[in-house]
Amino acid sequence: MPPGISKRIKTLSVSRPIIYGNTAKKMGEIKPPNAPAEHTHLWTIFVRGPNNEDISYYVKKVVFKLHDTYNNPTRIIEAPPFELTETGWGEFDINVKIYFHDEANEKNLNFYHRLRLHPYEAGQSKDDEISSIFFDEVVFNEPNESFFKILMTKPGNLLPSNKSDKVIFSQQLEREELDRINAGILEVDKQIDELKKSFNEKITQKQEK
Amino acid sequence: MSSSDIFDVLNIKQKSKSPIHGSSPLPSAGSSTNLTPTGSRVSKPQVTGMQRELYNLLGDNQPPVMVQPSSKFKEKLTSKAKPSPWTYAEFKPSGKNNIRLRHWVKGSKDLLGPEPQESDFAKFSVRLSLPEFTEEEYELFMKSGETKNTEKEANANKLDLQDNAEKPPMSNVSERESNVEDEKEKNKEESAVEESGTENGEVGNSGKVEAEEWTYEEVAYLFTLCREYDLRWFVIDDRYLFDGKSRPLEDLKAKFYEVSKKYFKFKDNSDVKLESLNFSKDKELERKKYLQRLLSRSAAEIAEEEALIIESRKFEMAAKKTLSEREALLRLLDSPISTQNVSQYLSSQGISQLYNNLLSDRTRKRKNDNGVPENPWMKQQQHFAQQRQQLQQTQERKNIETHSQDGQASPRKTKKQKQELQTAMKRKSEAAYAETLLKDFSAEERKALGVVTHGEKLSPGVYLRSTRIPTYKPALQNRVVATLHELGLPVRPAMPSFEVVQRQEELLKKIVTLLDMKKHIDKLEAEKSITK
Repeated sequence: MPPGISKRIKTLSVSRPIIYGNTAKKMGEIKPPNAPAEHTHLWTIFVRGPNNEDISYYVKKVVFKLHDTYNNPTRIIEAPPFELTETGWGEFDINVKIYFHDEANEKNLNFYHRLRLHPYEAGQSKDDEISSIFFDEVVFNEPNESFFKILMTKPGNLLPSNKSDKVIFSQQLEREELDRINAGILEVDKQIDELKKSFNEKITQKQEK
Repeated sequence: MSSSDIFDVLNIKQKSKSPIHGSSPLPSAGSSTNLTPTGSRVSKPQVTGMQRELYNLLGDNQPPVMVQPSSKFKEKLTSKAKPSPWTYAEFKPSGKNNIRLRHWVKGSKDLLGPEPQESDFAKFSVRLSLPEFTEEEYELFMKSGETKNTEKEANANKLDLQDNAEKPPMSNVSERESNVEDEKEKNKEESAVEESGTENGEVGNSGKVEAEEWTYEEVAYLFTLCREYDLRWFVIDDRYLFDGKSRPLEDLKAKFYEVSKKYFKFKDNSDVKLESLNFSKDKELERKKYLQRLLSRSAAEIAEEEALIIESRKFEMAAKKTLSEREALLRLLDSPISTQNVSQYLSSQGISQLYNNLLSDRTRKRKNDNGVPENPWMKQQQHFAQQRQQLQQTQERKNIETHSQDGQASPRKTKKQKQELQTAMKRKSEAAYAETLLKDFSAEERKALGVVTHGEKLSPGVYLRSTRIPTYKPALQNRVVATLHELGLPVRPAMPSFEVVQRQEELLKKIVTLLDMKKHIDKLEAEKSITK
């Protein structure tokens, strides 16, 4: 039984960055003992913090729903690290469900991740480790008070400041992203201005006629 | 780790190793085994069993000399001190003086002296002091208990009685009580076993014996026995023989408690001990009966009981599990607002009710879908009404703002205005509450914690930030995506953080205006070409 549903704090939201995705590597001759013969890749799907920090203080469990051809396709990971390593030969959509602690009284988050085993970009050789990793933010809009307290125990929104080999998603990347979007906005503004001008010209032309 | 590694570590030679695999791991294993024998051969005769394994674990790093205890026997005592003297001395037993007892005491005979000394344990030999009374007193306080009318009379007599009667020390009574309790505990099982043998006979007798009145002599006899055997009821019951007849244990107990209760009540009506002098014979009999039944169960019955208990535990566990699972599922449901307490739906009744609700909801929806197509005009009108309402609301909001700026409220307000004001106030107070919660945090800390007070009315719940990037109608969306590609930007930002998503939204808005303008210009062009 839940401990009495506590009040939600209105007009407030708390966000926590997460990283999810998969890494994959082609298996050579050495294969795990129980891997089927047709499996060619060893892959790991994971959900974790951007700096590999512990997210179990608000995540209760993560459920990965694999392709039906796997044995026990629903894999439940109830303790960190929330990751699953399997072998396979094909790419498919993995359904990821993140469950939060009971105090949160929140629904689970449900999204899909396309497992990537093969390199798409040029310049990657076939034997490199392939990764398909996404950044996202879990936003708890109007969390209830007890969960809010839990969330406030850790400064979980901090991102590593600089990019490095290990850390992809950082404040640096965020700034670059912002700069790119701002450049895009400027570009669009410019185009709008040009269009306005030509529009006005055309209108005046029309009126002159 | 392969098996050869383990063998290597344990220093066990591998004889049955196929030569094909032996190419890489064996040489090292072979060399190590070749090296060690010289060391191990020296020590081998001495070490056996577990020790040998342990030494082998050391591998090549065996110590050159092994220290081995040679003898398995205990060392001989080498102490040269004299043994301290002990004496088999006589001592005074407490209470009974007519017997002679001896015991071993530390110390020489001279030290102890010729006189027999008190035992160290004498202080533990405490006798109970039970109430004593003469026949007259007995009659008196027995009567006073029976009839209330004689109470006053008894009280009058009480004074001179108190002078005569020797008051037993009260402290002893409490001790006795605790003794009785201990006795009961100790003898619980014993009694059940004992009783089981005697009870059948006694229960039959009890009716007959109970009918017989207790004379003063018998009560006095009972109390002397009690005194003599320190209220050890089983001994008392065993020795009890008055006038050639015995009574069941419960009767003795009941009588003893009854008499002493009346005695103390008579002496002092507000005695604290009175409450502990309650004894229910029926309950005692019942308890013993239960105990007897409990102890006389057969092995099969005990096994069955255990099985049943385990089964019931299983049921409880299963019930708990289904409940928690059900709760988790219910939380995922949209229909009853999931943020509310779901406990009302946890019972089977609740769930059937919920199910019916959902079912009726669905049928209702379907009715709407399948029914007569709605009047398009009605729809339009509803739409207009909504728009009008929105417009009005925004206007009213402006009004309210201006009013609040002026500091005076308009004298007459429509109902809607009032409502609007109320919700605005509520929103404001909520926002204020959220702010007070966060007042300890600086802006930087807030960023670190990821807390934002948006002050808007958004639906509560958890979501991924990237899902809140606006999307448009398919046709428009395609063109927006194409524009984004032209700008060299991804559709989904690589890092959908709060700021990034905000900027992204702005960008998308601009793109939409851009596209809109393009459309208009195209139209204009087309018009122009027609007019030409």
